[in-house]
Amino acid sequence: MKKRKIMAMALSCLMVLSAVGCGNGDSGSTSGSAAGTGSSAATNQSSAQAQTGGTEGAEITLWTYPIGKWGDSATVDGLIANFNAVHPEIKVTVEYLDYSNGDDQINTAIEGNQAPDIVLEGPERLVANWGAKGLMVDLADLWTDEAKAAIYESVESACKGSDGVYYEYPLCMTAHTMAINKDIFEAAGAMQYIDEANGTWTTDDFIKAVQAVYDSGQANVGAVYCNGQGGDQGTRALVNNLYGGTFTNAEHTEYTANSEENIKALQLLYDMDGINYDASIVGGDEINMFCNGTLAMAFCWNIAQEKNNLDKINFDVLPMAFPSTGDPKLCGGIWGFGIFNNGDEAKIAAAKTFIDFMANDEKQAVESVKASSYWPVKDLGNIYEGDDLMTEYSKFVPYMGDYYQVVGGWAEARTAWWNMLQQVGSGVDVKTAVEEFVATSNAAANAAQ
Amino acid sequence: MKHKRFNRSTCYKILSVAVITILAVLFAFPLYWIITGSFKTSAAINATTPQWWPEEWVLANYQKLFSRQYAPLWEIHIPFTGFTFAGPDVPAAIRWLLNTVFMAVAAMLFTCITSAMAGYALAKKRFLGRTLVFSLIVCAMALPKQVILIPLLREMASLELYNTIWAVIFPIVGWPFGVFLMKQFSEGIPGEMMEAAKIDGAGEWKTFYTIALPLIKPGIGALAIFTFINSWNDYFMQLIMLTSTKNLTIPLGIAKLQAENAMDFGLIMAGASLAAIPIIIIFLIFQKYFTKGITMGAVKG
Amino acid sequence: MAAEKKNPMSKALVRRETIAGYAFMLPSLVFFLGFVIYPMVQCVITSFFDATMNREDIFIGLANYTELFQDTVFLGALRNTAVIVIVSVPVVCIFSLWVSSVIYDLKGAACSAFRCIFYLPVVTGSVAVTVVWKWMFNNYYGIFNYVGTSTGLLKQNINWLGDERYALGCIILILLTTSVGQPIVLYVSALNNVDQSLVEAAEVDGATKFQCFWKIKWPQIMPTTLYILVITTINSFQCFALIQLLTSGGPNHSTDTIMYYIYYNAFKLYRYGYGNAMGVVLAVIIAVLSAVQFKLAERD
Repeated sequence: MKKRKIMAMALSCLMVLSAVGCGNGDSGSTSGSAAGTGSSAATNQSSAQAQTGGTEGAEITLWTYPIGKWGDSATVDGLIANFNAVHPEIKVTVEYLDYSNGDDQINTAIEGNQAPDIVLEGPERLVANWGAKGLMVDLADLWTDEAKAAIYESVESACKGSDGVYYEYPLCMTAHTMAINKDIFEAAGAMQYIDEANGTWTTDDFIKAVQAVYDSGQANVGAVYCNGQGGDQGTRALVNNLYGGTFTNAEHTEYTANSEENIKALQLLYDMDGINYDASIVGGDEINMFCNGTLAMAFCWNIAQEKNNLDKINFDVLPMAFPSTGDPKLCGGIWGFGIFNNGDEAKIAAAKTFIDFMANDEKQAVESVKASSYWPVKDLGNIYEGDDLMTEYSKFVPYMGDYYQVVGGWAEARTAWWNMLQQVGSGVDVKTAVEEFVATSNAAANAAQ
Repeated sequence: MKHKRFNRSTCYKILSVAVITILAVLFAFPLYWIITGSFKTSAAINATTPQWWPEEWVLANYQKLFSRQYAPLWEIHIPFTGFTFAGPDVPAAIRWLLNTVFMAVAAMLFTCITSAMAGYALAKKRFLGRTLVFSLIVCAMALPKQVILIPLLREMASLELYNTIWAVIFPIVGWPFGVFLMKQFSEGIPGEMMEAAKIDGAGEWKTFYTIALPLIKPGIGALAIFTFINSWNDYFMQLIMLTSTKNLTIPLGIAKLQAENAMDFGLIMAGASLAAIPIIIIFLIFQKYFTKGITMGAVKG
Repeated sequence: MAAEKKNPMSKALVRRETIAGYAFMLPSLVFFLGFVIYPMVQCVITSFFDATMNREDIFIGLANYTELFQDTVFLGALRNTAVIVIVSVPVVCIFSLWVSSVIYDLKGAACSAFRCIFYLPVVTGSVAVTVVWKWMFNNYYGIFNYVGTSTGLLKQNINWLGDERYALGCIILILLTTSVGQPIVLYVSALNNVDQSLVEAAEVDGATKFQCFWKIKWPQIMPTTLYILVITTINSFQCFALIQLLTSGGPNHSTDTIMYYIYYNAFKLYRYGYGNAMGVVLAVIIAVLSAVQFKLAERD
């Protein structure tokens, strides 16, 4: 009899657990309180509303990459609270992605029929990857004539696919720079090679400066990180700028990383003392090692990195353009919203409402952009009045180069790029490695067309 | 002569124990480092010269871990009504822990129940197609689940189980090792006892329940432990199937923590401690059963 | 035995047994067919298609397979997987046998303490353990480089995970620490179950320790060894978390395993059909290996 009791208990346990489990599951699509905000009452209410249909009570999911403070839940909760003050009927659930696994996560979610409604990222993913694969919604409604007039033209062209369809509605932009540890450079007497006022240096001066720092006893001056996704713009810009190479042709149809200039640059980095191709670290690791003083310079840098790491840095950071023989051409970052086509008109409409509010509402737009700690994509006045750090970095914006990341086959090219750097780092002949990279990437680009 | 050999073997023994002690220290080191690291200041943890013992004990890492993200403690979904009852918001890490426990326990229960029944049938019932089913099971046993990840993902998507804990549980339950193990155990049930029960008028279910089940209980215990540990550490399935912050399991949560805060080692260590300590406590409490379970699984497997 | 007794089974009995048999099998079969066999069949079918995201699958016959055997990265992954299995399986077996043979007759508490410690990495889980190993292997301030350079064993820092020559070795080392726990537990109890009277008799006959072990203990722990061989092989094939978290298959594909390469093709390059073809090849390899191991087990 005792056994029967135990059995019954086990069974009832199981049933209770399965009830909980069901909750775990379905809530993925029906409830899901935004991290930290929703109370249980609100959850009930909104899921009840969801049954009525229409934009009324639509629930949308927003997935963000760590774009400035858009990767920080406290900040984003505040932004969403602003939105809900105006649109209480739309409930927004946020998930935070990282650059190492974020793409895989979205890709599995797409295959699992649970792609997010809105993603906050750049054209290389929204337009060139998911847009080109026909997964994104055409945002023509948001791109009104007014918007087209206000938003900078270079940004607008990046938000369009090769078919002329707008897959991204931009919010903010920046120029990716590099940075040096001024304390170390000063101690090594390397500041003489640097144009501190403009934040620029020539390739020759770069070589001399790195050598000086290396000779002063800093064995690790910089690291060409190449473990994986994220921060590839830093390594690309470094390689392209050194001798004036380009990553793609001007029409963004073909990869040209096998040009003589690029090969020379890759070889130079391989031969330089103090600079290692490091396949064990990713861009994020490099930033951290720069911040804690292990590395004397960072290639994966921009204003947000300095702002987010202020408390960790106990030296003088000097942002720099990438060394070049002519004018530096910095890689731009353009971030904005894209909508996945999940086939639910109400959700798409709600998502558009959300984007419109975040990027176009007069008061909110400033706050949304400020949260990213980058610059607006249209004239919003001087939103960073009195912010010295922003003023310091704003001198790099004019150096922004061509936004070539919309070339086809970008996802494949990006993985191939890391592998190419790893090959060079392991001593494979630079030309062989680069040719292989270009062949793989061009094949992917052709397949995408 | 004999005396000499005795000495030599003692020497060997002492030496070996010494070497093994050193190795044991190395084995325990990661765990030691995770736990002490989670209480270190960030300066201590990032110091280029390792600080072997925390000079200053702080809770900052745990505070950071628990204030990062929040999720409702539980959510009970009433089917067909669209109503969801959510628990109070708690730090997401706590929810991850709960998810993991739920997953491991549910996988364990389901596996034990289904395997005990199936193993019994395979061992004691002479039904048509038995050999076929059994050879299928043996063939599938060695197959890594990862091989079928893409079709499994698509299947879970069409069943609308993707991003639910069930998507992780069901493949574990389907994995046929349990059935195989329980079949081996059920072979030992004496036929006479079953015959006797039948003569007493017991039905199929009652025979299983009163005769077979008590006899294979040790086997079920072994299988339970096996499944629990395996599912707790089934990182791959979790990685593919779960996405929402609130649906993550603790190993997945730490992996994500690590990717997001590349080198905030203190925070990562705090997360890792949270993942490791509960299961280690369970292990230490049930240590005897663990060893017994593992051994028994091997003997029969 | 039961079968012999009711050997002349009537049709009615067969039917009854079949119904009862399947009734008991049903819950398990639902999961087994639904979440193992069905996806496996799907896997084989899609391997003949060019399947990718958001597009109808296109039938391409054996093209995936022919490409597979020309894909140097896949062949490299195959080699790496083989290296992991070939190195880790014997090492795990020998190491755990050695440790067990030393600790099994220690005083009670000491033996179980050792057993417990060696089992810790298994319960801690590879993800949590990997976090620490990543730091230990760090190029700039990891403990291996720190200890190595400060004791003079290393002339300069080695980039353990970032160097083709060492990365796979590091992965295998971590894999070993998370794999020996179970074999040690098994061997300790197997050694304890060895018939002591035989050992004593042999010792009286003047057999050396080694002879004692080889002639008497080894045959008795043979079944355990076979079991350990099987589970370690399966475990080594499944090595994924370490690679995903530490090296992502790099540097220069030197730590790519088939398991990781399937994942890589599926979720970075969106090549589902191709990934499935790899899965099929891996399944065939494992099936052949298991068949061999089963044959070995039968012979003994």
